[in-house]
Amino acid sequence: MRNCFKLRVAVLGAVLALSAIVLAQTAPQSGTAKPDSKPQGFNPHDLAGVWNPAPYMQPKNEPPVTFGMQAAPNDVLPPFNPAGKAKYETNLKFIAAGDVLDCDPYGTARNFFTPRPFEILLTHDRLLQHFEYYDNWREIWTDGRKIPADAEPDYMGYSIGRWAGDTFIVDSAAYNGKQFLSWSGLPQSESMRQTERWQRINPDTLRILFTFDDPKFYAKPWTITAFYKLKKDWVLDAHPCTLSELKEYDDKLNHADKLPGRDYKP
Amino acid sequence: MKGSRVVLFALALGLLARDVPLSAHHGGSDYDQQHLVTLKGTVTEFDWTNPHVQIFLDVKDGSGKLTNWGIEGSAPAVLKRAGWRAETLHSGDQVTLTVAPSKKGTAVAALRKAVLPDGKELSSGQLGEQPTQ
Repeated sequence: MRNCFKLRVAVLGAVLALSAIVLAQTAPQSGTAKPDSKPQGFNPHDLAGVWNPAPYMQPKNEPPVTFGMQAAPNDVLPPFNPAGKAKYETNLKFIAAGDVLDCDPYGTARNFFTPRPFEILLTHDRLLQHFEYYDNWREIWTDGRKIPADAEPDYMGYSIGRWAGDTFIVDSAAYNGKQFLSWSGLPQSESMRQTERWQRINPDTLRILFTFDDPKFYAKPWTITAFYKLKKDWVLDAHPCTLSELKEYDDKLNHADKLPGRDYKP
Repeated sequence: MKGSRVVLFALALGLLARDVPLSAHHGGSDYDQQHLVTLKGTVTEFDWTNPHVQIFLDVKDGSGKLTNWGIEGSAPAVLKRAGWRAETLHSGDQVTLTVAPSKKGTAVAALRKAVLPDGKELSSGQLGEQPTQ
């Protein structure tokens, strides 16, 4: 009888231990939650708030896109076509010259890859993004409309969004092709279509999978993943771009450091 | 074992090279992040402005030669979150700044840390989230 009890305790212990191992191996980790996993304890559709980029969470096998992320020698680059590679090399020269020319809006991708927070505001027909850096605004229409065929090309493009389960899918087009896609100088053209799949994977983490389809510069569509952390006690301190301040910055620092700044000529 | 340590060290350097967000419109590569310099001197000007806060500092070298350094910090919005304010520094203040100097050898640098006249230390702010240590 006593041996039987010992055996039952041993079996129970083994089952519990095995369960713990299985749970540990299957529990979603931050940043790697399965797309169809059901979040608990928060509303995954509530995206309102201030979100701060967490570039360190980007998978290392993707092209680095965030400001200041110096490309390591073996970093992956997107699948350029010859025109894209040439444009990228031109952009690198501009970056080396100081990377400040004017106050043009940063476009949607480069704004996302700027390590400064953005705020999400929700209205009955739009999701609005306010980017702190350069005070850029983006509107994502959520009223079921399509991207108009005659949408005027613009730095920020034209965006529509819809929910598919707990994923907010954003499609954007009508870019004017005048802005970099990333701080690292990746190019984008007026032919680019950008798709984003937003998922609030836990109460304070937003993951966005970007797909860029731009046949003018890339041989095929390519993707990167970006992560953002909810900052409940932050308010945006919008930072508009002001030409007179850029000029002063050039005069006092860029030129003192032998950089052309806004005087750069390609 | 020694080889694996070398590999780990190289890997760590590689990750650092990619993961340290640098603050400067110059693009981070213009500043020597590996050889930070400590500058002790007198503030001649403090510009609380976009795109980058600027501190100008008179620094005497060992031979008594005076050089006015131009040091850029992050934008005011970023520095505010690190405790800075428009009134944090004034002309005449004696401060100690840790900076990444320009690779060109000019008297231009990027701020990393400041020790204020009252001994308080302020960082140059944080761009984006950092991994928890």
